[in-house]
Amino acid sequence: MDFNFTREENEFREEVINWLKENLPHNISEKVRSYKRLSKEDYEIFMKKLSQKGWLAINWPVEYGGTGWSTIQKHIFEEEIVKANAPRIVPFGLNMLGPVLIEYGSKKQKEFYLPRILSCEDWWAQGYSEPGSGSDLASLKTIAIDKGDHYLVNGQKTWTTLGHFANKIFCLVKTNTKCKPQEGISFLLIDIKSSGVEVKPIITLDGEHEVNEVWFTDVKVPKENLLGEENKGWTYAKYLLTHERTGIAGVPYSKSAIEHLKKISSTIYNNGIPLIKDPIFSSQIAELEIDINAMEIFNLRTVSAASEGKAPAMESSLLKIKGSIIRQKTCDLLRKAIGPMALPYISEQFDEGWNEEPIGPEYVGKIAKQYFINRKISIYGGSNEIQKNIVAKSAFKL
Amino acid sequence: MHFNLSEERQMLKDTIDRFLSDHYGKIKNHHENSKLIEGFNPKIWNESSSIGMISGLISPKYKGLGGTGEDIMIIFELIGKYLCVEPFLSTGVMSSTALSSCNINVEQLMDDIISGKKIISFAHSEVESRYDDSYINVKATQKDDFWYINGTKSFVLNGDQASVLLVSARINGDTLDENGIGIFKINSKDYEIRPYNTIDGYRASEITFNNVTASLMCKDEIAYNCILETNYAAALAVSSEAIGIMQKCFDLTVDYLKTRTQFGKTIGSFQALQHRMVDLMIEIEQAKSSVMLAAGTYESEKNIKYRNVSAAKNLIGRVGKLVAEECIQLHGGIGMTWEYNLQNYAKRLIMIDHLMGDSDHHIEKFKKFSKY
Repeated sequence: MDFNFTREENEFREEVINWLKENLPHNISEKVRSYKRLSKEDYEIFMKKLSQKGWLAINWPVEYGGTGWSTIQKHIFEEEIVKANAPRIVPFGLNMLGPVLIEYGSKKQKEFYLPRILSCEDWWAQGYSEPGSGSDLASLKTIAIDKGDHYLVNGQKTWTTLGHFANKIFCLVKTNTKCKPQEGISFLLIDIKSSGVEVKPIITLDGEHEVNEVWFTDVKVPKENLLGEENKGWTYAKYLLTHERTGIAGVPYSKSAIEHLKKISSTIYNNGIPLIKDPIFSSQIAELEIDINAMEIFNLRTVSAASEGKAPAMESSLLKIKGSIIRQKTCDLLRKAIGPMALPYISEQFDEGWNEEPIGPEYVGKIAKQYFINRKISIYGGSNEIQKNIVAKSAFKL
Repeated sequence: MHFNLSEERQMLKDTIDRFLSDHYGKIKNHHENSKLIEGFNPKIWNESSSIGMISGLISPKYKGLGGTGEDIMIIFELIGKYLCVEPFLSTGVMSSTALSSCNINVEQLMDDIISGKKIISFAHSEVESRYDDSYINVKATQKDDFWYINGTKSFVLNGDQASVLLVSARINGDTLDENGIGIFKINSKDYEIRPYNTIDGYRASEITFNNVTASLMCKDEIAYNCILETNYAAALAVSSEAIGIMQKCFDLTVDYLKTRTQFGKTIGSFQALQHRMVDLMIEIEQAKSSVMLAAGTYESEKNIKYRNVSAAKNLIGRVGKLVAEECIQLHGGIGMTWEYNLQNYAKRLIMIDHLMGDSDHHIEKFKKFSKY
């Protein structure tokens, strides 16, 4: 057992920190820090810089323009970009479609699509969930009918994150309805600019527009946009979902949240004593900090096992479940810490260039909002209940 | 960074695992050893010395072969797996730690521990002290060149078999003062002793001293530090033990869910039960990670060391209760019987939270050492 990073790993961390210092524009990190709404350009500026440096595709092999980093390096990188308040690297093209294309795509598809992901020319969205198909994804209804040189696609996708910024969407569609649901699904690459595609916003409980519905009405999709073989889409979809996810527990987010919580708890008073000294509240913070420290080691154990070639399929689910609960708990305590100051809500505060005096300290405005929106963490990417089913099936062979 | 054991440690672990499996595999449960007159099996204790299981707990400074946090973790996880009742905690961890923290020459006593010759018990807990490190009412008075001890220690692990006692006693000051404490050595048996069994199948004693002659090992700051070091070493040991126990509870429960049928199916096919098992699995991994962090940073400066052991002990307390209660519940009636071994593991797991500070005690310690 050795809890220290190697000298090379520490040097790598230094290199990442220094690069971020020089290349992450201050106005963007400031927006992330103060929870301002990010524009498409904010994401793209940062991702293009990473791309120029060769650091954008951390999960791709070197021959396709990836970094070839070890899992430990990826972990360090992911930790530092969170600490630096960088916008998140939009994962749909890079970490979801990319690895599937590399594994199952044709030579022509790889040569065409991969460079466009790297250059940020294409912004991909994910077309999986449908109004009637969430946890039971294989029951999806969007249909693609073979019309010789093209498919005719009809149906509706939903929860499409940042779909309003996207020009492309990868979709699971039905190409055969006369068999077991899993055996009639194909994986299609669709241009959002095609005629018959309509992206409509869904406003979430925090009043924000991040997710969308995507409607397909008689959309013509060329046959060459089929990924891999017809009716094998379920295999590709599963490959995408079980693909190595070192950051799934969100430990860096929880760590920065608890630091923030401890900091503000020393400035907020309850009956004349700071919250951090309040016996009940401080014990809640302490228990959460203990959980986070344990989770960090649990995550590193998994990362480290993965770097030795052990596939972490089940651990990913465990990390996702506990990681989401812990992140939600940080939001919960932040909300409780600020008391009635959780109520004021000025939506304009989160617009770029808003310069008015906030109500209360600047940080309180986002706390309730963050609490509500982060209820999503235990729902998306396979809800915690579905993760438990997956684990039970593989761990207990019941 | 890696979380694997070195080759030597892996060998030590495998050897101990085989050794305990040979001995404990032959008996029905640990009560067969703890109901022996000694409260444990002296044959196992002596043999454990020859395979290096005691010296694995002691630093090379005292001719041991280990003594790091990682060694304590490995050995005690196995102790938990088999519910081994031999005096590894009282003698191997607590007394050896206390002796090495007295800042005096203790080589002979350490030799006697490593060779399995002597049982040495650390007598600190009193009826009213609960988990306080400095709560001491037992008095030490000096007359001429001799020290005399008066008062009662209520929970002395393996006290009935100890040929040497290490006793914390108050030289001066109030009951809770960190200063004015002494650690004394008692070689005679000139005290009243009431041995008793514990609910989880171990042996301890209440010991009353009436003017018992003792020799002073250390006092004041060194003595208080000695108590802290001893309690923290023991806290790491029982936290590690709890990991072995939880894993065993979990495995027993999975087996049971796979074999027990109701409504024409194995009960493990019910989602309500599956999800609870996954919750346990997650929490056990969390607890294990926390103990690994404590063990891996045990040689760091004191604030970090104590902070991480307190974190582990707190989490062990929380998760231990969950695992014990859930595993009994998921077994149903069979989990309530004396006959079925789960109860022994569940009881020890719960009682570990009553040793060396419970989860509430350690959340306060964690806050203190984290400078909340």
